[in-house]
Amino acid sequence: MRNLITIGLPSKGRLKDKSISFFNDRGLKILQSEKERNYFGTIENKSNIKIIFLHAKEIIQRLGDGTLDAGISGLDLLKESDKNLQSKINVQKKLDFGNANLVIAVPDDWIDVQTIADLEEVSFDIRSKRNARLRVATKYPNLTNDFLISKGITQYKLISSLGATETYPFIGSSEIITDITSTGKTLADNNLRVLKDGLMLSSNACLFIAKKKAISLKLFLDHLS
Amino acid sequence: MKSKKLSETIIKTFKSNGFVLLEPDVLLDSDFIIERSGEKFRSSMLSFEREDGKTMCLRPDLTVASCISFLQKKSSSKIYYSGQAYRRSGKKGTNFINDQLGIEILGSKNQIQADFKVLSTILSSAKKIKKKRVQIKVGDVSLFKRLINALDMPERWKLRLIRHFWRPSYFEELLKRLEKNTDIDAVTFDADKKKFYEMKKLDQDKVIAGRSISEILKRFDKKIKDPRSFADGKKIVKIITSFLKINCKLSELDEKLLDFAKKNNLNKNIFKDFKSILNLKKLNQDINFIANFGRDVEYYTGIVFEVFSEKKEIARGGRYDDLLKSLGAKKNIPAVGAAINLKNI
Repeated sequence: MRNLITIGLPSKGRLKDKSISFFNDRGLKILQSEKERNYFGTIENKSNIKIIFLHAKEIIQRLGDGTLDAGISGLDLLKESDKNLQSKINVQKKLDFGNANLVIAVPDDWIDVQTIADLEEVSFDIRSKRNARLRVATKYPNLTNDFLISKGITQYKLISSLGATETYPFIGSSEIITDITSTGKTLADNNLRVLKDGLMLSSNACLFIAKKKAISLKLFLDHLS
Repeated sequence: MKSKKLSETIIKTFKSNGFVLLEPDVLLDSDFIIERSGEKFRSSMLSFEREDGKTMCLRPDLTVASCISFLQKKSSSKIYYSGQAYRRSGKKGTNFINDQLGIEILGSKNQIQADFKVLSTILSSAKKIKKKRVQIKVGDVSLFKRLINALDMPERWKLRLIRHFWRPSYFEELLKRLEKNTDIDAVTFDADKKKFYEMKKLDQDKVIAGRSISEILKRFDKKIKDPRSFADGKKIVKIITSFLKINCKLSELDEKLLDFAKKNNLNKNIFKDFKSILNLKKLNQDINFIANFGRDVEYYTGIVFEVFSEKKEIARGGRYDDLLKSLGAKKNIPAVGAAINLKNI
């Protein structure tokens, strides 16, 4: 088989639609199977390119293990992944969609907490008064650890969350959270507020490639620039 | 000497000084360790999940493991340990297994005597295994604390500097902010004040995400009265930096500190109570005091020391009065200990 290229694209929502338009706009027309729930696709007149629709997180994993040669996913998901995995993946191009911020948010009623420095004081308060740690619920344990430690917050404990993290502070599962947000509406609707200096990462969709394949992908990537 | 023989020689010295063998548990409750050492430590632990869902880890450190045994009343208060601790270092190709050999005095009320006992025992072990000149350097975290508390600056800054003393690089960053006064809470209090008065009317015991309304409002009020921003940052930073530069023979320390206090217009009594270090003069040993020493371990609270020979560390230790409480003791239990660095012998 000559130079087969396997590309992973997000399987759901706006990220999926925008990814497909990204290719279409560059003259690479993506053809999806007629069967509505099929996960495979092709590109018109490019028999050597195979498209697979996957969960955005899965795309990072499969770029790392060599299943995929290229793919579109979020920068946040790359940065959160294992360091070994990250070393195998290159950011080829930042795309102009999928913008979202990873932020640290506290209950709106904590009016005494506006900055990370405040949070640090509160965390030490909790530590000394109750001999407990401030609990931080998150879907991003690695990024959260790095961020908090770099800002001088050491007295905390991570609570891993799979979804609806915004509820955690109000059901007794954590005190504060870190989460990804694009408009901030979900946070606000759940009585949470982003700290003034609480931006951990500005993320967007990116075209990633497997480092090992950088040379063999060159011709294809020229099409996309 | 072969390493086994070395260990035997050291242990003999420990025993003859009245230390009793403690063999702490190999498996510890991971959550317990995280609670104590922080989330960042998780990646260094070798842990696994038990059938009942509980996460356990191999003991990452023998001081912590010994303290846990002590709290479970499985040990006497003057102990030595000899065994393996297990942790990842993050560096490629390094071993998971660390042989540790050390002593601890737990719960002794006579601090000066306990400090002296630990250091003198370690010193005589070191002398038995090293023929070359053995030297000691000491520091004292509590002296720094006393200096900070004597300075004229907002309470919140004081606490912050003390908390981060053991993280030198972050500490440097804090000093820069203090110096340039760039750490102002960029808050317009007006909007929040409105909310403050609204919240005052609510049930003060109501809890929001683990904190009661009264707790939140109290801190809000305190913030207004004790803002972090103030003008003397530059002067304060200069005093702190010059304190951290103190490096002298133990015999000159008294004079040096007095001189330092005088130069900076501080009350000459602020350092008066550091008998534990001065008591070390009895060792008749070459001892250097370094104010900047012992800043890499979070749990030290008082004297910190290192025994070395030809620039190589043989042993290090110090006082850690808060550790047992953070491991679940109901009250503060004083503790001091030291460990031999077998790799360098």
